[in-house]
Amino acid sequence: MKFQHYFNLVLYFLFFFICNSVLSAEDLNNKIKKLTLELRCMTCQNQSVYDSDSEFANDIKNIVKEKFNEGLNEKEIKIFLTDRYGEYILFKPYFNLKNMLLWITPFLILLVSLGFFARNLKKTQSN
Amino acid sequence: MISLVGFSSLCLSTLFSFLVLIPKSIINLKIKYFYVILRFSTLLICVSFLSLMTAYITSDFSNFNVFQNSHSDKPLIYKISGTWGNHEGSILLWLSMISIYGFLYSFISRSFDGFKINVLKIQNGIFLIFSLFVIFTSNPFLVNSVDVNEGLGLNPILQDPALAIHPPMLYLGYVGFSLVFSLGIASLLENNNDQHWIVETKKWSIVSWTFLTAGIALGSYWAYYELGWGGWWFWDPVENISLMPWIVGLALVHSLIMIRGEQAIERWIVFLSILCFSLSVLGTFLVRSGILTSVHSFASDASRGLFILLIFFLTTGFGFLIFLIKSPTKKNNLRLLLINKTSALIINNILMIIAMLTILLGTIYPIIIEVLTNTRISVGGPYFNSTVLPILLPGFLLMSVAPVLSWQSNRIKKFRNYVIVFLLLSLFVCLHAYFTDFNIWGFIGFLLGSWIIFASILSIILRYKFLFSFNYLKSINSFVAHIGVGIMIIGITFSSIYQNEYNFEISSGDKINVDGKVLKLENVKVVQEKNYQSLKATFSVKKGEELVGYILPAKNFYPVSKMITTEAGIYHDWLQDIYMILGNEQDGVWSVKVYLNPLVSFIWIGVFIMIFSGFIAIFKR
Repeated sequence: MKFQHYFNLVLYFLFFFICNSVLSAEDLNNKIKKLTLELRCMTCQNQSVYDSDSEFANDIKNIVKEKFNEGLNEKEIKIFLTDRYGEYILFKPYFNLKNMLLWITPFLILLVSLGFFARNLKKTQSN
Repeated sequence: MISLVGFSSLCLSTLFSFLVLIPKSIINLKIKYFYVILRFSTLLICVSFLSLMTAYITSDFSNFNVFQNSHSDKPLIYKISGTWGNHEGSILLWLSMISIYGFLYSFISRSFDGFKINVLKIQNGIFLIFSLFVIFTSNPFLVNSVDVNEGLGLNPILQDPALAIHPPMLYLGYVGFSLVFSLGIASLLENNNDQHWIVETKKWSIVSWTFLTAGIALGSYWAYYELGWGGWWFWDPVENISLMPWIVGLALVHSLIMIRGEQAIERWIVFLSILCFSLSVLGTFLVRSGILTSVHSFASDASRGLFILLIFFLTTGFGFLIFLIKSPTKKNNLRLLLINKTSALIINNILMIIAMLTILLGTIYPIIIEVLTNTRISVGGPYFNSTVLPILLPGFLLMSVAPVLSWQSNRIKKFRNYVIVFLLLSLFVCLHAYFTDFNIWGFIGFLLGSWIIFASILSIILRYKFLFSFNYLKSINSFVAHIGVGIMIIGITFSSIYQNEYNFEISSGDKINVDGKVLKLENVKVVQEKNYQSLKATFSVKKGEELVGYILPAKNFYPVSKMITTEAGIYHDWLQDIYMILGNEQDGVWSVKVYLNPLVSFIWIGVFIMIFSGFIAIFKR
């Protein structure tokens, strides 16, 4: 019982810490970094806008900054950019009908195989 | 002249390997002669490869391949590595390795002759297919039709020590899986239930996996300091492709531990062996056909792509066909419990295969979409980070305790110790998260990495036994390997999440202050090297008053190919790399990019430990 008691105490403590840490706010630079990391520099070889120093990448960085200052959110900026440059610019494709397979398949296989695993587990245990 | 020697020995080698494959009913070859011909064929292909290398070393520009990819000004090491710095040469290297693996197997294997001959025949079949590919589409021995006395030069970005040995290492890995493939198929063709092939498969798959690990690590280390992008892994299609056989190889190595006479697992192992080699060939196809856009830009051409696709379908089709025809003879169920060792290993396998499928899907999805809808999309790092990582997470969690799980029951001995260590660790990690910027991935990665390390160390300690002997080292080998993975996870987490980046405009003599260290730009000068001009900046690094080192970021200009490469300057420290890239100059003011990459060294240490334990595992107990 004593063990259980200490266990609980530590858990409360951990919970407190996590809550405190999550509450730190996100600033503009982080937002720009997060978004530009997901954009392809179209004039480079497989490099993100954030990492690249090419003219194209710098233009995009400025555009993103401007749009954030205008008050647009991440999603709206992405839509603006894809209207202009095509979906090719996004390293993380949209979750839409066309890309459904891409996003769903891994997790679907995971579920199915875990289901199989669980069924076999039950079988061995009933034996 | 030397090209003629090379080409004729290539053809002879092909002929001999064909001779070996003729069925017994037509020519009844004695076993002794079978081996002789086989080994002779290997020697010939080695002669062929060495003569290409000689052509490169002596800068024999009457050879078209040498003319296109070499230059007499290059240092000797890059003349040698130039041999495999192009499509034709690297495929010839690949081909020789297929043969060498068979050669080594014919000496090392202790199996009885029937099985051994089957393995070698299949290996030879693979060799034959690839040698036809070399002769008909990628002949490195073509004669240059014009008389020249200078070549076009090797891509400067490849002129680097790490990249000089990266392809052979990688190929030793890829091609090693061809022998594992042959072993798997041969075991299917065999009718009795002998287990000897499992021991051999284990040995050779660990050999291949270790080489593949070393090859991939060298490649990403190269990317770290040569590309100058601040990172070391970019989810580039070619990187993904090398990762797929690596993951399946890892699954294979783990399932080989599971064998306890269950046919289901034997079948699974054969399946993985076939899959591993198929993925290696598929990777070659995707890279060499030029379907993918990538940093690895070899000259590509459609007929080659088609030929490799044919090879892919031949080997994979053949493999899986035999796999399906030879149905299992007996059935016994696995002993699964939540969680015992068998089920932990199975979950590990499931997760790895799904991770592999996800990477495959993400890599080829843009191609599929482009064909179907004619729109271009990209699937890059962010996609893989948000799919592959969550899928692998439970596996990482499991691997911390998996080696101490029991086969029979679902209890862990001295369970309470593990709980206490885990709680203390999470407390520490929370404190760390509290005092730095909180990041959920940073939190998870740090916790997982350290948990894997500490759980493995705890498991070693709880054995209450320390010996200085090889057998002891071998018995704790799995823990050691897992500690390596834990260290690597911490390195990856910190270097990618807690990376800091600064931009400076600086002129000669200026000082900049980065994280308690003072960097002073001493000078910028042009240095003339053997085959390039280097623009080198020298920064001195001072910690307080003490001079601790120099950082030399540079830009190299290669006059032969008229290319400029960026060389990052790195100050290595155990806890932090200072990584500098020299930008452009304006009126004596240089723009400089500085990255602080924490714990990058952990990644290489972790990989080194994994490779080390791979080597330990090869040797017999």
